[in-house]
Amino acid sequence: MSYLNLKNIYKTFSSNVAVDDFSLDIAQGEFISFLGPSGCGKTTTLRMVAGFEYPTAGSIALLGNEITNLPPNKRNIGMVFQSYALFPNMTVAENIGFGLKVSNTNTIEIKARVTEALSLIHMQDLGGRYPGQLSGGQQQRVALARALAIKPKVLLLDEPLSALDAKIRLELRLEIRRIQKQLNMTTIYVTHDQEEALTLSDRIVVMNQGRVEQVDTPSRIYNYPSTEFVASFVGHINIFPVSVIDGGEGIVDLSGNKIRSRKHMQEGAIPVHMAVRPEELTPGHREGANNLTGNIHSVQYLGSVVRIQIDVSGNFLSMDLFNQRDLSIPMVGDRFDVNFSSDSCWLL
Amino acid sequence: MRKGKLNFWSFFWPILAMTYFFVPLYGTLDFSLRMKKGVISLLAYQTVLADPQFIESFQYSVVMGIVSVTLSILLFVPTVYWIYLKVPKARPFVEIVSILPFIIPTIVFVFGLIRTFSRPPFLLTLTPFKTDILMAAGYIILSMPYMFRAIDVGMRSIDVKTLTEAGQSLGANWLQILFTIIIPNLRIAILSGALIAFATVLGEMILGDFLVRPAFGAYLVLVGRSKAYEPAALSIISYALTWIMLGAIQVFAKGSSSQSQLLGRG
Repeated sequence: MSYLNLKNIYKTFSSNVAVDDFSLDIAQGEFISFLGPSGCGKTTTLRMVAGFEYPTAGSIALLGNEITNLPPNKRNIGMVFQSYALFPNMTVAENIGFGLKVSNTNTIEIKARVTEALSLIHMQDLGGRYPGQLSGGQQQRVALARALAIKPKVLLLDEPLSALDAKIRLELRLEIRRIQKQLNMTTIYVTHDQEEALTLSDRIVVMNQGRVEQVDTPSRIYNYPSTEFVASFVGHINIFPVSVIDGGEGIVDLSGNKIRSRKHMQEGAIPVHMAVRPEELTPGHREGANNLTGNIHSVQYLGSVVRIQIDVSGNFLSMDLFNQRDLSIPMVGDRFDVNFSSDSCWLL
Repeated sequence: MRKGKLNFWSFFWPILAMTYFFVPLYGTLDFSLRMKKGVISLLAYQTVLADPQFIESFQYSVVMGIVSVTLSILLFVPTVYWIYLKVPKARPFVEIVSILPFIIPTIVFVFGLIRTFSRPPFLLTLTPFKTDILMAAGYIILSMPYMFRAIDVGMRSIDVKTLTEAGQSLGANWLQILFTIIIPNLRIAILSGALIAFATVLGEMILGDFLVRPAFGAYLVLVGRSKAYEPAALSIISYALTWIMLGAIQVFAKGSSSQSQLLGRG
C-alpha cells in the first residue's frame, strides 16, 4: 500500500481539461516534484491533494483512507505558498503557532513546538517580528516552519522559491531538502524550474497539457527521457527529424548522414526524431562513432560552459565544452568535425 | 525660472482650495458666535445643548448609528469576503448594486419603504420599535456605498484567497479564518467604513422625517426652519464630530502601521 495514492484523477474547468488521467503512488518520506510548463496542471493536481480543488473524477487516498472530498482543514496536509501567505497581523511565532492554536493544543505545547520550528529554520531570535519586517527568504522559511509545526502527514510546496532572488533560492532549496530529510516528510514540490526538480527530488513527475509524460528519478528523466517533450523540457538537447534506414539496428538518416542510435526500434514503430545532449558531443573525428561535419554558426560563453552551434546541412547542432583556460575555440564560419557515440543518441 | 513658477502654482492651488473650504466654515462659525448682539459669545451653543430635543435626537441617532453600523459590518464583511473567495466574477455586479443609493433619490427610496412596510404582510410602521427596525434597515442601505467600498478596498489590499487557503491548510474553519485572519487585517477598512456610515446616519434627515422618528438630521432641518443662530452652531458641532471621527481613523491607522499588509514581498 502506498502512502499517498492518486488514482485516475481528472479535473475540468468548464470545457478545459486541466488534469487528464493522473495516477501516482507516493511512498512515505519520498520527495516528489511536479515539473512542467505553466498551465500543465501541476498546481491544480497539488491543490486537489490539498483539498482546495476537488477532482471531476478519480480518487485520492492517504494511508489507505479516501480523502478525495474531505475539506482541506480536515486533511492534516501542510502547504507552503509561492506568495508565503503569512498572516500580516501575527508575529512570526504566532504564525507558526496558528495551526496548533486552532486545534486547541495547550499553550505549553504550542510554545515548545514554536521554539522547535524556529530552531529548525535557524530563526530563534525573530519570533517577535511581523512578516512585514522580514526579507522574502525569511518569510518563506517561516511559512515552511508554520506548515511543519502542525506535523502534517504530507507537505505541499507550490513554487515556493520562484519569488526569491537566485542566491536565496539556492540556499533555501538546500534547506528545504535538509529539513525534509531530517523529518522524513513526504513532500510534493511544484516547480517549473528543472534545476530545482533535478536537485531536490527522489522522483520527478513531468507533466504537459494535463497529462503525465514521465515519472522517474532525476537521472533517468535527464538521461532516458521517454518522450520528445521530456527530452526538450528537461535540459538542453538537440532534436532533429530523421528518416529510418534500419529500424531494427537503430540506424537513421540525418540530412544524408548515417546515424547509429542506442535505441533499437520495435517492428512497425515509426520514430521521427533523433536526440542527443550537447555535452555528449566531442570535437573531431572518431572511428566507430557517429561523425558529422558542419560550419560554426555561433559561439556563446555561458560561464563554465562554452556552447558552440554547428550548422550541419541546415540542422543547428549545439555542443557544450567545459570552459578551460587552454580551450581552443573555433571561429564562426570554420569547418568543424564533431562526433558522438551511438549510446548517447536515442530515437523518439 | 521654471522652478520659481512651479513653486508659485504649488502654493496657489492649495491656498485656493483651503480658502474655498474654510471661508464658508469661518463665516458659519463667526455667525454662530453672534447671537448676543455686539458680543462674541457661545450663547447659540448653550441654547442648542440645553434643548431637550437636541439631546433626545442626538442620543436616538447615536444609538441608531451604532445599531446600523454593527448590522452593516455583520452583513457586508462576510458577504464581500464570500464574493472575493467564491464568486469573484460577481464583484462588478455587486459594486453596481452598492452604488444604487447614490442613483436612486432618498425620497423615492423612503416612499418605497413606507409603501412596502406600512401594510401586511410586512407591517412595520405601527409601533416605534418596529419603525426603528425599518429605520436601521434604511440606514444600512443608505450607507451601503461607503461600507461596501471601504471593505472592498481592504479586501483588495490583502490576498484574501491565499490567506484563507493558508488558514485552511493549518486546520482552521471558516469562522476561525474570518475572525482571526481576515477581520484583523481589515480593521482599518472596517473602521473607515463604519465611521463614514455613522456620520451618514447622524446627518440623514429624510428617513427620520417621513417615518416620524426623533432623528438628529430631522432635528437639524426643524431648527433650521425656525431659528437663525442655532442652526449655525449645530453645523459647527456636526463638523467637529466629523473631524473627530476622521481623527479617530488616523489614530487607529497609525496604530497598525507597524504591521505590514504586504504579501509576496521579495
